[in-house]
Amino acid sequence: MTKMNLKLLKNRAKEEIEKVKDLKELNEIFNKYLGKKEELALILRSLERLPKTKRMKIGKSANELKNFLKIEFEKKSQEIKEKIQKEAEEKEWIDITVPGEKPVLGHLHPLTIAKRKVEEIFQVMGFSIIEGPDIETEWYNFDALNIPKEHPARDIWDTFYLKNGLLLRTHTSPVQIRHMEKNNPPLRIIVPGSVFRHEATDPSHEFQHYQIEGLMVDKRISVANLKAIIGEFFRRFFEKDVKFRLKPDYFPFTEPSFDIGISCVICNGKGCSVCKKSGWLEVAGAGMVHPNVFKASGLIPKDWQGWAFGFGLERLAMLKYKINDIRLFRSGDLRFLTQF
Amino acid sequence: MVFSYNWLQSFFQKRLPTPQRLAELLTLHFAEVEEIKKVGSDFALNIDVRPNRASDCFSHMGIAREISAICGLKYQNLPSKFRELKNKKAKDFVSVKFNEFPIHFTVEVKNKRACPRYSAKVITDVKVGPSPKWIQDKLKVCGLRPINNIVDIANYVMLETGQPLHAFDGQKLEGRKIIVRFAKEREKIITLDEEKYDLDENILVIADVKKPVAIAGIKGGKLPEIDKKTKIVVLESANFNPQVIRKGSKKLNLKTDASLRFEHGIDPNLTEFAINRAAFLIQKIAEGKVSYGLVDVYNKKVLPQRIKLDLNYVEKLLGVKVPKKEIKNILKKLGFQCKSTRDSYDEEDKSSSLPFAAAWVIEVLVPTRRLDISIQEDLIEEIGRIYGYDKIPCTSPISSLFLPQKNLNIFWEDFTKNILKEAGFTEVYNYSFFGEEEAKLFGYRASEGSEGEEKDEVLFAHKEEELIEVENPLSQEYKYLRASLIPNLLKNVEKNQRYFPEMKIFELGKIFQPPEQQRRGKKKIYLLRPPKSENRILVGVITGDAFYEVKGVVDLLLNKLGIANICRYDEYPNELKKSKTFWLHPQKCAEIKVDHQKIGLLGEVSPKILSRLDIKERTVLFDIDFEKLSQLASEEHEYRPISKFPSAVRDIAVLVSRNVKIAEVLNKIYDTGGKIIRDVDLFDIYEGEEIPAGKKNLAFHIIYQAQDRTLSSEEIDELQNKIIKILEKNPEWTVRK
Repeated sequence: MTKMNLKLLKNRAKEEIEKVKDLKELNEIFNKYLGKKEELALILRSLERLPKTKRMKIGKSANELKNFLKIEFEKKSQEIKEKIQKEAEEKEWIDITVPGEKPVLGHLHPLTIAKRKVEEIFQVMGFSIIEGPDIETEWYNFDALNIPKEHPARDIWDTFYLKNGLLLRTHTSPVQIRHMEKNNPPLRIIVPGSVFRHEATDPSHEFQHYQIEGLMVDKRISVANLKAIIGEFFRRFFEKDVKFRLKPDYFPFTEPSFDIGISCVICNGKGCSVCKKSGWLEVAGAGMVHPNVFKASGLIPKDWQGWAFGFGLERLAMLKYKINDIRLFRSGDLRFLTQF
Repeated sequence: MVFSYNWLQSFFQKRLPTPQRLAELLTLHFAEVEEIKKVGSDFALNIDVRPNRASDCFSHMGIAREISAICGLKYQNLPSKFRELKNKKAKDFVSVKFNEFPIHFTVEVKNKRACPRYSAKVITDVKVGPSPKWIQDKLKVCGLRPINNIVDIANYVMLETGQPLHAFDGQKLEGRKIIVRFAKEREKIITLDEEKYDLDENILVIADVKKPVAIAGIKGGKLPEIDKKTKIVVLESANFNPQVIRKGSKKLNLKTDASLRFEHGIDPNLTEFAINRAAFLIQKIAEGKVSYGLVDVYNKKVLPQRIKLDLNYVEKLLGVKVPKKEIKNILKKLGFQCKSTRDSYDEEDKSSSLPFAAAWVIEVLVPTRRLDISIQEDLIEEIGRIYGYDKIPCTSPISSLFLPQKNLNIFWEDFTKNILKEAGFTEVYNYSFFGEEEAKLFGYRASEGSEGEEKDEVLFAHKEEELIEVENPLSQEYKYLRASLIPNLLKNVEKNQRYFPEMKIFELGKIFQPPEQQRRGKKKIYLLRPPKSENRILVGVITGDAFYEVKGVVDLLLNKLGIANICRYDEYPNELKKSKTFWLHPQKCAEIKVDHQKIGLLGEVSPKILSRLDIKERTVLFDIDFEKLSQLASEEHEYRPISKFPSAVRDIAVLVSRNVKIAEVLNKIYDTGGKIIRDVDLFDIYEGEEIPAGKKNLAFHIIYQAQDRTLSSEEIDELQNKIIKILEKNPEWTVRK
C-alpha cells in the first residue's frame, strides 16, 4: 500500500510541478510534498511502525522520491526564473540606432599636434629642439644672416618693427646664429617658433605663422644628406610615399639655396586645384649654410659645412588635414578646433 | 617679371622647346615660371627671377643665356653696329652739327660714388613717330605702353639688355650740359607723368645748368621730354649706386622699371653695349644720324673677378661627383672662363687613377654682369643647378651618434597641455597682438607718453602696466604686442557663445612686456642683445558659474605637476580689489602663491568687463606664469600603498556663519584627526529653510583608515567625539549630530 502511495505521490507531484506557473505556486507545492508536516514526511514518519526489512525498503524508496522531487523542484524553479528574466529583458527593448552619448573631450590645437609629430620625427633622427625669442634685433634677423642693410634682398621679408628699435623675427633663422654662437659642431637642431610677416591676410596668407627651422652642421654635410633627411621627414609626416624635389632659389644665408617641393599630397601629383595643376607643392626653403653665416656665428667657415631648412607648419598641417583657409588656425573658432 | 617667348626665340637660330617645356626647364634649373599666358601669337612667361639674379636676368638677354646653358642651344649676339658720323671724338663731350651749326654737349659727374659710369650719345635728325608693330607688340607682352619710337626703343633696349636708358630732347637742355649731382634742398621736379616731387640732398638727379631734368635712375622729368618736334636726342645709359637709388625711391615712394633694376645693381660695363644697341635701333627706325663717339665718364673700370674652385669641395658640398669636363662645360655655357691652375691636373683620364690627387683646382673668370658671384659656393650653386639637383642622390649623413638633448620647456608644455586636454579643455592659438581697446579695458598703457597717470590706476594681475608698441601695425586691432593672453581668449568666448553654451578653452603662449630698465624711463635702442621681455603664460577659461570647477582644474594641474602641496590660494589684497581697473569679480578671485610668491590668479571676470565684451555668460579663468610653473614642476611621483585594512566613514554636520571659510573647518578636522583621517569630503553646503538666517550648514564625510591595523569602532568614535569637541570650542559653531 505504502509502495503504491509513493508511486502515486510521485506521479501526482510530477504532474503538479509541471503545471506550476510561478515561483509562489511552486513554493506551495514544495511545501505540500516536502514540508515537515506534509505527505512525504508523514509517510517517512509512519515507517517507524513497520518491521525493519520493510522499513528499509520503503525508506529507501521514500528517500529516492524525496531527492527526485528536490531535483524536479530545482529544475522547475530554474525554468521559471529564466522565463521571468527573459520576459523582463524583453520588456527592456531599446533602439540601438539612437546615437551614442559622446563623452566631453578636450582638443589639442592642430598646430600642436603637427608640431609634436615633426618634433618626434626629428628627435628620432637625433635632432635637439631649440627655441629662441620672438622679439629680435636687426643683427640676428638680418645682418648676421648675410642680409645687408639697404639691400633689396631685405624686401623678401616684410617686417614688423617695434617702437623700441627691435623687430618681430620674420623667420626662425636667427636661432641658427644664436645656437652656433654658443655651441660647437657637430650640430643637429630643429627650431620651432612663431614668426611674423607684415602682409595682408587671405586664405593662404597670414601675418603670424609657426615655422620650423632645421640645421645640421659637421665636417662634410652635403646636399645629398639634406635630401636624405628631408625625404625621410616627408614620408613619415604624411605617412605616404611622398616624392620631393629641389629647385633653385635664393636666400642670402644659404648657398646654394633651394626651394623644396613635394608631390601634391591631395592628388598624388596628378594635378588639382591645390597644386594649381602642377602636381607639386612648395613647402620649404633650404640650402647650404653660407660661409658668412658661420663667420657671423664665430665659426671658421672652411672648417664646417652644413644645411638649413625652414618650413611653415600651417602649410604642412593644411595639407595633412585638408584645411582650406590658413586664418582658421588663429580664429579661435571652436567649430574648427573641436574637430582635432 | 614678364618675358616674351618670341623675343627669347630671337636669340637662337634653333627652335626653343615649347613654352610649357621651357617653363619646366627654367623652373627646375633657374627660377620658377609662375604663369604662361598666350598673347596673340606670343606667350608671356612670368618668371620669378630671384633678387640675386636681378643684375643680369631682369632682361631677355639674361634669360636667353640661361636657356642656352640649360638647353645647350647656341646663343647669338644682338646686332648693334651702326654708321657713325665722322666727327671729333672726346671723352666727356660730343659736338654735333645741327642745321649747319655745331653744338657741344658736355657731361659732368659730380659724385663718382653715386654714379660710377655715365655714357651718353647724341643722335640728330630723328623722326619721332609711332614705333613699328614688332616693337609695340613686344612691349605690350611685357606690360609696357608704347609711346613713340624713341621712348619705345629706350624701353625695348632696357627689357632686352637690363640696362635702363633715358632719352632727352637735346634742344631742351639748358646750356647743352648734363650734370649728375645730388639735389639741393627745396628743389622740385615734375616728372613725365606730371607728378610733382620735392627733392632733397639724398636724391640724385640729372640736371642741366639750371635745374634737375630727371630723377637719376628713377624717372625722367617733363621738361626735356621727347615730343613730335624733337630733332636731337641725347641718350643716357648710366650706372648708379644701388643704395642711392633705393634710398631715393623709398623716400619719394616711387618705384619704376628703372629704379627696380638699379637698386639691385647692374654691371657698369653694360652701358656701352646697351647704348649702341639703342643707337642702332634709332638709326634703323627713326632714321637718326648717330654722332661719332661716346661720351663716357667711367673712372674705375670693373674687371672680371677670379675665383679658385676646388673640385673636391664641389663634390663634398653637393654630395655627388660631377665630372670635371662637365663642370667646365657648365661654367663655359654660362659665360665663365675656366683655366687650370699650375698645380692641378688637367687631363681628364687622371681622375680615375688618382682619386685623391693633389688639389683639383681650376681658376674661374667671372663675367662682370654676374654681380651675384663672389665665392666658390656661388659657383657650386651654378654647377649644381645646371647639372640638376635631381641627379644628386639621397645619402644618409655620416655623423657621430650623440643623443638629442631633452628640451624641458617643451616637455612641460606638452605635459600641461595633455592634462588640460584630459580635463576637457580645447586649445586655442591667438595672435601675439592686441589693440588699444583691450589695452584700455585691462588698464594697460603704452610704454611711451601718458606719464601723468596715477600709479594705482594700472594694476593688472602681473603689475606690468606698460606695453610694447608696433611701429608699423597692420591695423589698430594689432597695435601692441599682447601683455596678457586674457583679452584674446575672452574674444574667443564672445565669438563662440552662439554655438557653444558651455566652453572650456586654454592657451599656452608668450606675452610681451618692456624689460625692467626700459620701463623705468631709460629709452634705449638694443642692437645686440635685448633683455628678455617675453614670458610664457597659461590661461584656462570656463564659462558659467564655474569658480570651483576652475579651482578644481588648477588643483588637478598643480597636483599632476607635483607642486600641489607647496601652492596655496590667497585673498587678493583689498587695495587691489578697490582699484578702478580691477577686472576680476572682487568677491570671486584668488591669488595662487608659492612661498609668498605669486605665480598666478584665479577668478571670475568682472561683470563690467563681460558686458563691455558682449559676453552673456559668467566667465571664470585662471592665469599662471608658466615659466615659474615649469621651474617648480617635478616629474617625481610616488605610489601610496593601498591599505590592507578597512576604512570607516562617519558623517558630521556643522552649522556656522555664512562667512566662515570652509578651509578653517577642514583644517581643524585634519589637525585633530591626524594620520588616521585619510580624507575629508565636503558633500553639502546648505543655506535657507530650516537653517537660521545668516548661517550655513556644512556636511562632511570623514574617512578613517590606518595603514597598520583595523580601527575599532570605539577608537573611531573617540576620535569623532574629539573632533566634535574641538569644533564646538568655537561658540559660533554648532555640530549637528
